[in-house]
Amino acid sequence: MVKRRLLSLFLVLALSASVFAVTNRASAQDQTFFGKTALDLFPDNAFPTSSPEVIKAERDAAWKALLAANIPDGHALGNGKTITVATLGQGATGGISGTIYFWRPAFEAATGAKLEIAEIPFGQLQTTIPTDFLTGQHTYDVIVSGSWFYGDYVTNGWIQPIDKFIGDKRFPQWDPKDTIDSIHQLYVWGGKQYGTQMDSDAQLLYYRRDILSDPKWQAQYKKDTGEDLPNPPKTWQQLLKVTSYFNGKDYNGNGKPGDGISLHLKVGGQGMFHFMSLSAPFSIIPDPGPNPKKVTKTHNIYWFDPDTFEPLINQPGQVAALEFLQKLAATGQKAQFGWELGEAWQNFFDGNAIATFSWGDVGSLSQNPDKSKIKGKLGAAPIPCSETWYDPDKKQMVTDPAHPNCVGNTVGGTWHPTLSAFSKEPELSYFFMAMIANPKINFFDATTGWQGIDPCCNYDLFPPAGNAKIEDYTAVGFNADDFKIYIPAYADNLSKMPIYETYLRIPGTPAYWTALDTRLSEAMTGQKSAKQALDDTAADWKKITADAGGPDKLLKVYQDSIGYSK
Amino acid sequence: MASTTSPTVASAAAVPQRRVEARRLTLGRALIWLAVIIVTLIALFPFIYALTTSFKTQRASYDGTLIPWLQYEPTLANWQAEFGSGGQETMRALTNSATIAIGATIVATALGTLAGWGLGRFKYGIGNRNLVSWFLSQRFLPPIATVIPFVLLFKQLGLIDNVLGLIIANATFTLPFAVLIMRDFFADFPSDLQDAALVDGASQFGVFWRVALPIATPALVAAIIICFAFSWNEFLFASVLALRNAKPYPLMVAGSDTVRGIVFGFVSTRMLIAITLPVVLSLLVQRYIVRGLALGAVKG
Amino acid sequence: MKSRAKYFFLMPGVIWVLVFTLFPLLYSLYLSLTNARLGRETEFIGFQNYINLFSDQKAGEVALFSAWLTIGSVTLTMVFGTFIAWLFNHDIPGLKALRAILTMPLFAAPIAVGYMGVVIFNEQHGPINNIIASLGGTPVSWITAPWPARFAVLITDTWQWTPFVFIVALAAMQGIPDELFEAARLDTSSAWSTFRHITYPLIAPALGTVALLRLVETFKILDVPLTLTGGGPGQASQTYSFYAYLQGLRSPFQQGYASAMAYLVVILCIIISSIYFWRVRARFE
Repeated sequence: MVKRRLLSLFLVLALSASVFAVTNRASAQDQTFFGKTALDLFPDNAFPTSSPEVIKAERDAAWKALLAANIPDGHALGNGKTITVATLGQGATGGISGTIYFWRPAFEAATGAKLEIAEIPFGQLQTTIPTDFLTGQHTYDVIVSGSWFYGDYVTNGWIQPIDKFIGDKRFPQWDPKDTIDSIHQLYVWGGKQYGTQMDSDAQLLYYRRDILSDPKWQAQYKKDTGEDLPNPPKTWQQLLKVTSYFNGKDYNGNGKPGDGISLHLKVGGQGMFHFMSLSAPFSIIPDPGPNPKKVTKTHNIYWFDPDTFEPLINQPGQVAALEFLQKLAATGQKAQFGWELGEAWQNFFDGNAIATFSWGDVGSLSQNPDKSKIKGKLGAAPIPCSETWYDPDKKQMVTDPAHPNCVGNTVGGTWHPTLSAFSKEPELSYFFMAMIANPKINFFDATTGWQGIDPCCNYDLFPPAGNAKIEDYTAVGFNADDFKIYIPAYADNLSKMPIYETYLRIPGTPAYWTALDTRLSEAMTGQKSAKQALDDTAADWKKITADAGGPDKLLKVYQDSIGYSK
Repeated sequence: MASTTSPTVASAAAVPQRRVEARRLTLGRALIWLAVIIVTLIALFPFIYALTTSFKTQRASYDGTLIPWLQYEPTLANWQAEFGSGGQETMRALTNSATIAIGATIVATALGTLAGWGLGRFKYGIGNRNLVSWFLSQRFLPPIATVIPFVLLFKQLGLIDNVLGLIIANATFTLPFAVLIMRDFFADFPSDLQDAALVDGASQFGVFWRVALPIATPALVAAIIICFAFSWNEFLFASVLALRNAKPYPLMVAGSDTVRGIVFGFVSTRMLIAITLPVVLSLLVQRYIVRGLALGAVKG
Repeated sequence: MKSRAKYFFLMPGVIWVLVFTLFPLLYSLYLSLTNARLGRETEFIGFQNYINLFSDQKAGEVALFSAWLTIGSVTLTMVFGTFIAWLFNHDIPGLKALRAILTMPLFAAPIAVGYMGVVIFNEQHGPINNIIASLGGTPVSWITAPWPARFAVLITDTWQWTPFVFIVALAAMQGIPDELFEAARLDTSSAWSTFRHITYPLIAPALGTVALLRLVETFKILDVPLTLTGGGPGQASQTYSFYAYLQGLRSPFQQGYASAMAYLVVILCIIISSIYFWRVRARFE
């Protein structure tokens, strides 16, 4: 009898002890991450705002994401070691580099290692990193840079694939298959995965949903022009009519005339990406065969002739597009020609423009009440199509408003980490890369806006494209109506377009794009005609190719990068 | 001034003359003062504007407003960011810049003043003119041509990403300034002073060190200021030779140019931070550019 | 003893320069005779780079702009710098305090000045256009029109380097004995006359040196156009050194061609300085 009582007492004690231990470990994990609290890992100065409420909300969200990411213990890999991450340098709370700074304390806590950050200004990227490799310094373990550098990085053997690490339980987990296909292509080369998920860039159309869906304006537009107000505009030509109409009108009702379009066209300000996304539907046509995406000599081709490497940038389609861009820019302010990206965005956020077309950042940034007056008024749509385009088979411009030509794009940096082939700590470095790529962490980063990271993957998008919910976004303070339009538009833009503009990833890509940027500026500021500017660009490109060793050296790489085979 | 008129007439005529002269002098001085104020404002204006902009949000920095509270809401965010989570990098960059500039200036002015004295007072077989133009020719070559050779040279010497490497580079680049400025000054140095000291038993170096240098302070300060400014501002070599540890401040300034455009708030704070140390230094040496300090000694 | 002492003064500087510049100079001269590219094999091609350079239209355009910029900047900085030095050479209270302010532009890194210039020259809201508008003029398109952009670079460069001339000119003026000024004041009360006959001749050598230094420096201007206008609009405000920089330190890292461009500047500077030293040879011998 006594024995049974003792036994049951013992069992109860043991049970309580184990329950106690379990709950304590759970609660210990709720409160610390490898011994650090949320305040340790995300101090006040890790956030670019000074508002305590915003800081608390973001810190809580970051903490939740970190715990949900199930970061394994990395001390075996990293204790006492140091790695150096080279990143596009925009400050400790700026875009892209802000992500690295933000997650550094958590990485150091989980691995016992030290993370050095080397910031490289945007203008220095194409100088500093190649010089480091070419002179044998090998200072960096991880390089966070733009996707256009793959041509240089891979063909020179500067970075190494990371396939072997994916799925290994010693590292944080992420799945490349989560990434939308058109973006994922920028993370691989020759069938091997080189990058870990971080940013994703593509341009889409943004507009003032409140104005275009206002029955008053719709009636007025119909009265004045005899046509229906497109909501949203589906082609560039429709967009031009809309921005021309609204340019100079007081559509905000505050006594000040607004702009039609808001663009940025300053030299060196990445204006050439906007030309790339705009000119795509003017100059790229799908293959008429069973696979529209098939790359042939005349279909799905934009940059160079895939057989001769002759520049195609001055084909009639691109020339028509540039002339169109000149007309479009005229429906905005003259000062646009000196604007950089931030200024053009700000003009739109101030409510001064009917439309702009740009990267995904506009979506999250428009939700910041400090900077944006258009929260709740945002409209988004896939990049417009074109009613006219160049048909290389017929060798003439074709116009068909009833069946516009639609071409998607992935223009932009799509900034992400790659692993140096010379790193002395590849596994530790990959640990950091994978941590940033973890779905929970990556989703959080995309919602902050200030990190400059855009939605990329199925965990960002609503069904059927992904498995996110609107509540994920309203939980961080985003407007439900805005995001119910923005996220599906973003998803469609990346996956539903019939064909996509190829991304140039040959060695020396920055040089070709810089030449294009310079010549575009000459055309837009009226120094040259569109045709002359693009002819000059083609001449510049021929010279760059010749200086690089001739077309033969680059042709195979180009064919591989666009998936062309004879 | 001899006068043949009678004293009373002369003095009567002299009084209004002096008053006219005094008035003309005051008007002249006033005009000079006005010109000085205008010039100072022009020199100062970008810094004032930077000060204002450093307290603006990015949004407000696109506007051309000048007066806080009246025209825009000031914020401390830019300054906090500079010294907050990025503070470690800021301090390291400033320390590097100071070390490099001070080190390079000491070397350049020391070697340059010695060489300047030599070229100003003595004759060399090769020809002084040739030597001076040889020193000057070191400034001819655009840095772009020597960047990579310097990288290769320093790699051999193990001086990449090392403050010492940048000190050597900047000393080399600014040495010609010191040589030319000091030479010009010493060329006009009165020989009697030099001879007098030699007669008194001073060595050649003694003449230089104890007689010439003190008198040469205005020129020396000019040389120091210029060598320091060049080294402090140098960007191109720093961007290639300094990768992580030896990054000087101009590289941090360049980081204000982001993919979204220039963050004017950061440019402003960084520009102001960048000029603080040199300005403090130059204020300290201002009193050495004193007029006529030497000439009392010359007159004897 | 005197003859040996003189080498003691000269040799440290000479040795330093030889040690640290001999290799880079010779190596870059060698590079200019090759088709060197970072990371590829180098072939000796003799003077081909130089020949190509003469038929490079863009090189001609940027050289023209650089020449315009050089003449403009040297002229303006010399005139303003000397004038301001003359202003400060008076015995007026308060000047000493303001002197330090006048040297401040020199210490602002050209990089930073270029970026600040973007704000200051901002076409819509920048203070310069605001002032122009308030005086009744039309705002200038500083960044988006070719000639205003070039002037923006010129203005910025002049603002930054006038203190350089100022410092040297002032130091030279301060070295002029008081008695000379006293004598001048008795003979004439015209400030211009005093300047022309007393001050200027005595500071002319220093001014000559500074002018030569400024001339040599402006050929190498890179930081300001890089950050203020990006060389734009188009390439309207690209300087010669900017173009060389694009060739040598941006893809395709054409070290050979960039070195050749640089050496042409060297040849030009040698010619200019030879003329200078020949004309003022008396001062040196």
